[in-house]
Amino acid sequence: MTKLACTFLGAILFIGCTDTKEKNSDQTEKKPDSAIVHTPTNPYATIDISPMDMSYFPLNYSQRKMTHDITAQPVMRVIYSRPHRQGRTIFGNLLKYGERWRLGANEASEIEFFQNVTIQDKKVNAGRYVIYCIPYRDKWTIIFNNDLYTWGLKIDSTKDLMQFDIPIKKTSIDFEYFTMVFQPITNGAELVMAWDDTEGRLPINF
Amino acid sequence: MKRITLLTLLIISVLIGRSQTNNLPPVDKSPMDMCYYPNNYPVLKIQDKITEPAVARVIYSRPQKNGRLIFGELVEYGKVWRLGANEATELEFFKAVKIGDKKVEKGRYTLYAIPMEDSWTFILNKDNDTWGAFKYDEQKDVLRTTVPVQKLNEGVEALAMTFEKSDSGCNLIIAWDNIKASLPISLK
Repeated sequence: MTKLACTFLGAILFIGCTDTKEKNSDQTEKKPDSAIVHTPTNPYATIDISPMDMSYFPLNYSQRKMTHDITAQPVMRVIYSRPHRQGRTIFGNLLKYGERWRLGANEASEIEFFQNVTIQDKKVNAGRYVIYCIPYRDKWTIIFNNDLYTWGLKIDSTKDLMQFDIPIKKTSIDFEYFTMVFQPITNGAELVMAWDDTEGRLPINF
Repeated sequence: MKRITLLTLLIISVLIGRSQTNNLPPVDKSPMDMCYYPNNYPVLKIQDKITEPAVARVIYSRPQKNGRLIFGELVEYGKVWRLGANEATELEFFKAVKIGDKKVEKGRYTLYAIPMEDSWTFILNKDNDTWGAFKYDEQKDVLRTTVPVQKLNEGVEALAMTFEKSDSGCNLIIAWDNIKASLPISLK
């Protein structure tokens, strides 16, 4: 009996382990969404299939402010929605090379700087910008735009303010959900943008 | 003994499996959401259907009821509540408005509420970019206003916010479980 239980647990453990490795983050990541799909309709505002998220720099700013670990103002934040891959090939397929990508879903993604920063030797004034991307096979062009509070599918490129080419690289794991987060570097932070098997990093100096 | 070790390993593997690895953030179980007044402003904008400028937007996270009793239980009466999950709820005005008879300048604010059985006291506070209501600082209040609540027949699973037009401007509607409350915002 003990042996049987051990074998059973072992089998589950094996599945559990393969689950954590690459590809099948689907299995685990899909769970919350399938739960959401079966929820009765919310008469005021339905839960979106691509939930919104927000990242600050310094990282976890709000929590650290709460614990008094931090007292200065935040440097920047990004607000974006998180589409998931759902078995699709993303780059070169769902997102065509050379075409505009809203870096998210739904509303255009928004980056806000609470102080002046420098990106690729260009000064970026404090303020709020729409951020989007033109992905290519071997690089991404990241664009800051002034057409705020818009939906991501129709960004007015006449209001582009600045653009930055960044290299991309293959990631060691696949990202089921599109992810944006800041990671510290010397003299600033990088905005990490990762989805499927690809990531780009925009270095921001301050 | 062996079973316990295996069980521990099993639990650990499940826990690891739940999060997106590489130190990047997993999707939150109380997802964030945003709404504007006018409602669906960004969609109206790309459809060229805007009839009035954006007045306000709210950014909040959406906890689920998950079979729990919410008001008077999970959210205690008489205590300051962050009106959401995770980060405190942010209410931004793109122009000066009035709440009650008090003028509110354009800008970002944190919105809290103190729920009671029959009424909620909304609190507009100037301490932004904060987490929950754990370090709520009354000194930074801009205003408080108390409104009656409305009982709903149909339960609302995920905390929901939306704006509705009113005679003097708009109301921010907040609904969860069987309770609905409105914050009146005057544009006159």
